[in-house]
Amino acid sequence: MIIPPAERDALTELFNIGLHRAAASLSELTNQRIIVDLPQLWVLPLDQMRARLGEVVDGDLATVHQIFSGPVGGDAVLLLEYDKAALLANLMTGGEVALGGRIDQSAREVLAEVGNVVLSACLSAFGDMLRVAVSFSVPRMHIESVEGLLRSLQVGADEVQYVMLAATRFRLSELEIGGYLVVAVGVTSLSLISQTLTDRVS
Amino acid sequence: MSWTPAQLNDVGDLLDVGIFIVDAELVIRGWNEPLERMSGTSREEMVGRALLDAFPDLRETQGEAAIRRALAGGTEVLSHRLHRYLLPLPPPAGFETFDRMQQSARVVPLVSEEDEASGALVMIQDVTERVAREEALREAIQRAEAASAAKSDFLAAMSHELRTPLVAVVGYSDLMVGGMIGPITPVQRDRLERIKASAMHLLSIVEEILTFSRVEAGRESLHVAEFDACELAREAAMLIEPQALLKNLTLRVNVPADRLVTATDKTKLRQILVNLLGNAVKFTDEGSVALEVACDADRLVVRVTDTGNGIAPQNLEQIFEPFTQVDQSRTRRQSGTGLGLAVSRKLAQLLGGDLVARSEVGKGSTFTLTCPLRADAAAHPAPRERAAATNA
Repeated sequence: MIIPPAERDALTELFNIGLHRAAASLSELTNQRIIVDLPQLWVLPLDQMRARLGEVVDGDLATVHQIFSGPVGGDAVLLLEYDKAALLANLMTGGEVALGGRIDQSAREVLAEVGNVVLSACLSAFGDMLRVAVSFSVPRMHIESVEGLLRSLQVGADEVQYVMLAATRFRLSELEIGGYLVVAVGVTSLSLISQTLTDRVS
Repeated sequence: MSWTPAQLNDVGDLLDVGIFIVDAELVIRGWNEPLERMSGTSREEMVGRALLDAFPDLRETQGEAAIRRALAGGTEVLSHRLHRYLLPLPPPAGFETFDRMQQSARVVPLVSEEDEASGALVMIQDVTERVAREEALREAIQRAEAASAAKSDFLAAMSHELRTPLVAVVGYSDLMVGGMIGPITPVQRDRLERIKASAMHLLSIVEEILTFSRVEAGRESLHVAEFDACELAREAAMLIEPQALLKNLTLRVNVPADRLVTATDKTKLRQILVNLLGNAVKFTDEGSVALEVACDADRLVVRVTDTGNGIAPQNLEQIFEPFTQVDQSRTRRQSGTGLGLAVSRKLAQLLGGDLVARSEVGKGSTFTLTCPLRADAAAHPAPRERAAATNA
């Protein structure tokens, strides 16, 4: 299933809306100026995702998974390389957690909250566009490898799986921290999203 | 509403997590046993009360906002570090330094049969103890760092105080030996040479202690420059030669005929060589001491071999511990601080390599230093600067 450029742009804009809201929440939460944007978006079948992700991330990943359901359903993940995740948690808490670059219990909680804010905002943006209610599970934070992540993505078992892979950028304290959003959906959900985008674009 | 308060109470009581439930009007509909304990209230008095009446301090906090967002269908995570607590509760016993119980919380919507959010379930975990431990650890680290800095500053100041008079002793002795202050007799010259030798020995001990403390505190830095390793080896051997001759030992230097250009910290490498050679001569009563320099692919290899007493296998690692000396056959302790090998190994590691020992009791020992031939060729790990991590 190929998403035409115009729809991909509309999809990017949708994510950006979500990330903009997330940034506003995070800024308020941490009393800092935080910007989150999305430089790039891909839509791929799940098996191609392994290769693509392997090109851009390395080593242990800090991931926040949030399963969502409703008329569209799937698994949304915020992922950051371990070091970057530790740095992000540290900066968000004014240097209080992840001292020495280690993701301790406190840092895990902060990352789970950040993941929750970002993923909920993006998924809500989808829900708004599709005019449906999307409900989310409690987010779960893991330290895992790319393989582990791909194995754990949950979509309806008999559906062909597609993934929206978005590169994200957190900007705070004059630093940029890059991460990725992975939204895995079944082909039915993707069709619905695609159709709605087509209607919007035309 | 499709949940059953009794069942949720049972599950909640099993975990040590405080759980309460509110309906769409923020009236409390469930209150579990751990929460009774945490708040000093009973289920009977809480169920049916308006949450914001029971906890007026909760009004207009992010906690209230989170609960309202959950009522609208959202899932909320309230990490401790960003919120401190959701419900204003007193600190647990023993942690009265905190004004409130420190909490980590989650809020999820409760959905009715019509698929509408009709309530919210709030889970509260008491993390006060964890936070206290984290803060104690942070303070301990800060105190240790301050103490280390104070110690280093003290030693640096002290070494200056110790060095200055010693330099004066050496300087005046030299002047007198050279006849600059007036004629001296051979006996006087001999005594002055001994004074000078003692002062220089003391100076070298001060230097050793200072280097040790700097290396311990992680304050030694690397000054990389290109030089010829063979020439350095010959220099170091020349320094040791008088002592070797005094004990009738043969000192052999085995280096490649051509220059062996290496890029590393010359001073530190010299310090290691002088230390190893000094030890070899000190602990060898007859035979020879050999210094060998070679290169193996991209590594510099330096070996100091002696025909001394040797070191027993169980002591081979211990000799690298600071303030120890292991003497096989004599009861008389050799002079020295016992720091030499400890410092040499740390310096070797600073150069990106290591120092190891092999020995056979009665036959002798070999100390091998290996390090990258070029310390500037990214073999030496840079300090942890994980700042501007740009987009992958």
